[in-house]
Amino acid sequence: MGTPGGDLIRVMAAGDRDAFARFYDRYAPFVFPFVLRIVRDRADAADVLQDVFWEAWRGAAAYDSARGTPEAWIITRARTRAIDRVRAVRRRGETFVAPVDEATVGAPTPPGGDAAVRAEERQLVASALAQLSQAQREIIELAYYSGLTQREIAERLEQPLGTVKTRIRLALARLREAVTPT
Amino acid sequence: MSHEPFETLAAVYAAGALDGDDLVQFEAHLPGCAECQAAVREAQDTLARAMLSARPQTPLPAVREALVRRVERTRGAGRRAWLTWAAATAVVAAVAAGFTATWVAVRYEARLGQMARETAAVKERLARNEAALQEQVALYRGAVELLRDPATRVVDLRGQGTAASASGRMIWNDAGGGHLFVAGLPPAPAGKTYALWTISGGTPRAAGLFGVDASGRSAHRIAPEVARGAVGVFAVTLEPEGGTPAPTGPIVLASK
Repeated sequence: MGTPGGDLIRVMAAGDRDAFARFYDRYAPFVFPFVLRIVRDRADAADVLQDVFWEAWRGAAAYDSARGTPEAWIITRARTRAIDRVRAVRRRGETFVAPVDEATVGAPTPPGGDAAVRAEERQLVASALAQLSQAQREIIELAYYSGLTQREIAERLEQPLGTVKTRIRLALARLREAVTPT
Repeated sequence: MSHEPFETLAAVYAAGALDGDDLVQFEAHLPGCAECQAAVREAQDTLARAMLSARPQTPLPAVREALVRRVERTRGAGRRAWLTWAAATAVVAAVAAGFTATWVAVRYEARLGQMARETAAVKERLARNEAALQEQVALYRGAVELLRDPATRVVDLRGQGTAASASGRMIWNDAGGGHLFVAGLPPAPAGKTYALWTISGGTPRAAGLFGVDASGRSAHRIAPEVARGAVGVFAVTLEPEGGTPAPTGPIVLASK
């Protein structure tokens, strides 16, 4: 794996452009499918990806390893930017984007979704999320991919708020087991 | 509050789904709680690792190229080029700087003013919300306290006449006063209000006036001073605003 991600970020903060290229090469292939999964449009995903890594370059000095792993640092940023993009696109109404929240629930084929997007969804099923139950996956997707808040999720699933909170916690606990190497 | 609920909030927070009072409460708690900070960090890391466990897919090379070019530009232009440019255009720069400074100051002042106004509005809203919540909590606490006393009775009130679908429930203590909870009562017409009466030995005694909210609900507190002696019947009538010494209007709710 080479240099740990945290060290790469520190070198990046010092202005090392090669470190940035290595950082990009290491994480972009993972961040890209994640962003694509949220924004569901390749051009938008490429834009968001560029923004995310540009911000990582500019903000590298602010990275604090005590506050999270490099993976969490880049993914949290990517999630925020991707959800912002979905909201902006929906507000402008320029492009029709299948609302992510609806498209991810029960994962029916999005209307007009191209074959590539569907292929990416199949790939995602191979990930750690696949080890959750259908209900657990659904709640993580509503929160993490669709950016719905607990109240919005409770409304959508017609479940009490307390149940939704507990379910998120349990799903995360299960996910933790799934990503912890045994 | 035990710490357990915060552990759930930490998970919801990390998943980006916390909202409302929970969010306010958790964000106030988080800075002082190492345990929750660790829980959030851990959950965010879990999510990141789960997301990164998907099969990798290399984005278009154009994205990488554009980024690398952009990065080169930020640090690549070099200090010397900037110095040359600065020397050659010092006068223009000085004028421009003065102009820009003024422009920036004006812009920032406007923005700062706007932010101050927004902050003040948020503060005011929070204070209002808190006062309303405090009031509600005090009301409910009073009702629960009353229910602790074995001498407290719970009396059902039925809708009467035109308000047949209304219902009420009185938590009553002959010494400690009571709480009336009402549902399904239409809002009182203009110039009118609802009046509660306690009736003992055939004599009605005024026990306060109240209105209902848009959904037809109300919670009305009856002070201990009003509770003098055993009450036989509770009744609610529609009265002119300001109240009357004795009931004059139609009965809308009555016990028994």
